Amino acid sequence: MSLKQYIITRIILAVPMLFVILTIIFFILRIMPGDPVAAILGGKASIEVINKLRHELGLDKPLWLQYLDYLKNLFKGDFGKSTLTGRPVLSEVMDKFPATVELTLFAFVIAVTIGIFWGAEAARKKDKAVDVSARVFAILLYAIPVFWLGLMMQLIFGSYLRWFPVGGRISAFVDLKPITGLYLIDSLIQGNWEAFIDVLKHLILPGLTLGLVISSIFLRMVRNNAVLMYGQDFVKAARARGIREKDIKYKHALKNALVPIMTMMGLQFALLLGGAVLTETTFSWPGMGSFLVLRIRYRDFPAIQGTVVFFAFIIIVVSIIVDIVNALIDPRIRY
Amino acid sequence: MVQDKFMSYKLASAVRELFGSSTGVITFVGLVILLFYVLLAVFSPYLAPYDPTKSVGLSLSPPSHEHLFGTDNLGRDVLSRVIYGARIALVIAFLSVAVAAAIGVPLGLVSGYIGGILDRILTLIMDAVYSFPGLILAIAIAALLGPGIFNIAISIAVVYAPTYFRVIRSQVTSIKNELYVEGARAIGAKRSTILLKYVLPNVLPSVVVVLSMNLADAIMTEAGLSFLGLGIAPPTPDWGFDLSNGRRFILSRAWWALLYPGLAIITVVLGFSMFSEGLNEFLNPTVREKR
Repeated sequence: MSLKQYIITRIILAVPMLFVILTIIFFILRIMPGDPVAAILGGKASIEVINKLRHELGLDKPLWLQYLDYLKNLFKGDFGKSTLTGRPVLSEVMDKFPATVELTLFAFVIAVTIGIFWGAEAARKKDKAVDVSARVFAILLYAIPVFWLGLMMQLIFGSYLRWFPVGGRISAFVDLKPITGLYLIDSLIQGNWEAFIDVLKHLILPGLTLGLVISSIFLRMVRNNAVLMYGQDFVKAARARGIREKDIKYKHALKNALVPIMTMMGLQFALLLGGAVLTETTFSWPGMGSFLVLRIRYRDFPAIQGTVVFFAFIIIVVSIIVDIVNALIDPRIRY
Repeated sequence: MVQDKFMSYKLASAVRELFGSSTGVITFVGLVILLFYVLLAVFSPYLAPYDPTKSVGLSLSPPSHEHLFGTDNLGRDVLSRVIYGARIALVIAFLSVAVAAAIGVPLGLVSGYIGGILDRILTLIMDAVYSFPGLILAIAIAALLGPGIFNIAISIAVVYAPTYFRVIRSQVTSIKNELYVEGARAIGAKRSTILLKYVLPNVLPSVVVVLSMNLADAIMTEAGLSFLGLGIAPPTPDWGFDLSNGRRFILSRAWWALLYPGLAIITVVLGFSMFSEGLNEFLNPTVREKR
């Protein structure tokens, strides 16, 4: 199978998966004993008001008709209208999307950097201080809730040391015209250094919080895989040939250790998104996670359902990308 | 790989790697932590120095002799709230894993044993739920169901039910071809008898291991939900809720309102993970390789 064929097959295979996820979201949110109308109105409304809202939301139709409407609308890109603002949910979510992308990408870079460098070093010096400390670090970060880590960061670096702001994405007095919605890139394109520094300062604490939590997973995977690679014959052969230790570490042990890690990325990504919701709430970061939590407070059910569906789309797209990258790195997957 | 989505599994294996083969020590430490929190939860009225829901001091006073962990913004004793908080954490954790097992185990049994189209459909559904970010799913369900111990337990259970399903189903598909099951079929045992008396007892050890591992995840998820305001209604003491409440006083540097509830979550999660790792080794020496 050529790479092109593989990519096309992979995308076609994603369609039933997306369909199943969308169906599950629909049925879980409709069949659960909670009533969206009662939840929106708070149980004190008159019958007329309840019936009117029920009709507006299409909840008076039979379930299978609701389901068909839901799929039809999603297919047309219609995620429904927010009951809070009256705006289309999709455009509201899209407004928040870049903030979440910026945070998760930044966190991801931190996580991968820590994971690769510390993990490779820990594997090379197995059972030495650098390795044991890496393992303790990983254990602690598994057990620490991401939002608590965020709170501690805010307390230390925001409140006591006053190095970084404790919340938000950009200061009110800083002027920045959004182009991509990724503020770091926007400020760079416009050469606006004041904005760039300000945005970076806002990004560091939430990015570090989420990045550290995810890094513990990478760190352990890189270390364990690299330890296995160091035991392989090709590393011994490289040593025998007198290749520099640095080249052995990065070009032999690490490079081969990374292949299985790529495969695991799909599941880690789901974890990253869940962590992002908590991190965004902790740092008042105006992304999809804070949006979701805020709209829950206002019982805006179309917005809640729309955001969850949007997350589902992201998951599917990322899983396709991960598979394609895998196929690029490891030609065996394609065959 | 079945468990790999979940923190507690990674945590447990990381702990095991660090301590090498001394599983006994890990299990023991985990058990001690666990017992400690169970005792806190059961005897909280006797152990807590104050009523956790009443104002018993000045607002946001730092740790002192009267209030070892300080007070929160409403003048409530943080130590008492941390002690009582063990109740909600443990009750919801146990309830949610019980519900998750009650959904996942029977479905896994039937799906694995009967196979065919039913198996295909159930596997597809469970895999889809499994691949979805658990916390986001739990948030959506909890938002719809509203506050309450049962509702939160259900939202967490939906996320973890696929784990039981996958583990049980994969074991049943191999068990059903064992000779003793074939023998039972040959002497004309009913399908329900075979499932309950021959298959189920053989998968129970795995159920117990997954249960104990999920407890740590359930506590994490519950803390996350209540941090987001989707937990038990205040003023019931709850670690996650207390953290979201304390968050408002970051700039007042009220570190004691944030530090202690967090340490409680961390230690309880560590305790459950360590204990489950030991249990895993004890009950099911082969399960690790299979995973």
